[in-house]
Amino acid sequence: MTDAAKPKKKGGILGVFKDIVYGMSSHEMTRHAVRTRASMEHLFILITMGDLLGVPILPPYYSLRLLPYVTPQIAGWKRRMLRERDVTDVLG
Amino acid sequence: MSLRRVFESQPDRRYIMFGGKGGLGKTTLSATSAYWLAQQGKRVLLFSVDPQASLSDIFQRDIFGKGPVPIMENLWAQEVDADRRIKDYQEEIRKKILDMYGFEKVPEEIDNYIAAASAEPAMEESAIFDAVVDIIVRADYDYYIYDLVPLGHALYYLSMAKVYDEWINKITKLREDMRQYDQVAATMRREETVQEDQILSELTYIKDRINASSRILTDKARTAFFFVVVPEEMILLDTKKAAELFAKFDVPLSGYIVNRVLPADLGAGTIPPYLRNRIAMQKKYLDDIKISFGDEVLAYVPEMERDVTGLPMIERLARRLFDEG
Repeated sequence: MTDAAKPKKKGGILGVFKDIVYGMSSHEMTRHAVRTRASMEHLFILITMGDLLGVPILPPYYSLRLLPYVTPQIAGWKRRMLRERDVTDVLG
Repeated sequence: MSLRRVFESQPDRRYIMFGGKGGLGKTTLSATSAYWLAQQGKRVLLFSVDPQASLSDIFQRDIFGKGPVPIMENLWAQEVDADRRIKDYQEEIRKKILDMYGFEKVPEEIDNYIAAASAEPAMEESAIFDAVVDIIVRADYDYYIYDLVPLGHALYYLSMAKVYDEWINKITKLREDMRQYDQVAATMRREETVQEDQILSELTYIKDRINASSRILTDKARTAFFFVVVPEEMILLDTKKAAELFAKFDVPLSGYIVNRVLPADLGAGTIPPYLRNRIAMQKKYLDDIKISFGDEVLAYVPEMERDVTGLPMIERLARRLFDEG
């Protein structure tokens, strides 16, 4: 068995303490980051593979043409698309 | 049939395209045909979207990005400057946003998006595509002669009309479905009218233009696409392959023009072996052309004694091509 494949040794009391501090301070932030990452993953797939869902991607010249009409909605739309909760929350 | 007969017997074919590999004389033949048609009293626009366009060179004046420039009576030439077009367009969008909402300046986020859009790889292509749509749908000339970019690219541009056509139909359909929900809601609230959907109007405008140009470019009754070839093996092989591909995209193939044919009397007398070999090679491929393309060859264009630039030289070639057969 190589060194890398060996199970990690627990760090005793210090390790438990570290875990507790992590749970109290960073866990929520990590969860947030992971969720944001997942939302962005959805966005990314929507942008690159949108056509699979029936979301056609407009040639850029023509999407600019529509921009003035959606200008007031952009900020709200971005918040909605990037908000913490994602589709899996609704399902679960 | 000759090129002249094609123009005379099919006057409805007003959209003319010359395609072929690079350097075979597409611009020369486009300019010569445009010149001849203009001389017959037709109003002709000769245009190119190639950033390395050669219309400026053949007419010996700078017409790049200047819109339709008059060359002689009845003849205008235009080279589209895609970069300029994108910049103007971005400005137009910014202005529209300011006008619509009475903003002092465009919100930073939106402005960044507008600026970034021009860096997208597909931006230039879609801008060029729109420039062609713009030229074609206006219909203010009798003839439109499209001096195409080399083969692979030409196919790309022509197929774009079909692809964009499908895209825009899908998007417009989606927006129309959204509109139906608006109408249902309005009816339930007992509202008399539904506010106009400006996005739908805009999409319909884009759709009509794309549909119109796609219809024109694939319409055998209105459009003619000529392949320019020279009697050389590689060119013939490539052209045959391209013709099959073009047919798949409904490009109305209308015939072949064989350029750079060496004068028949060149082989008379004692000539150096190099020239003798060239003449023999050309004869072989000319026979090959007759077998492969047969009646579809509309003209054999002689190799001129000097390059074709400037109106007097174009006129000479036009006489040889259209008047002397």
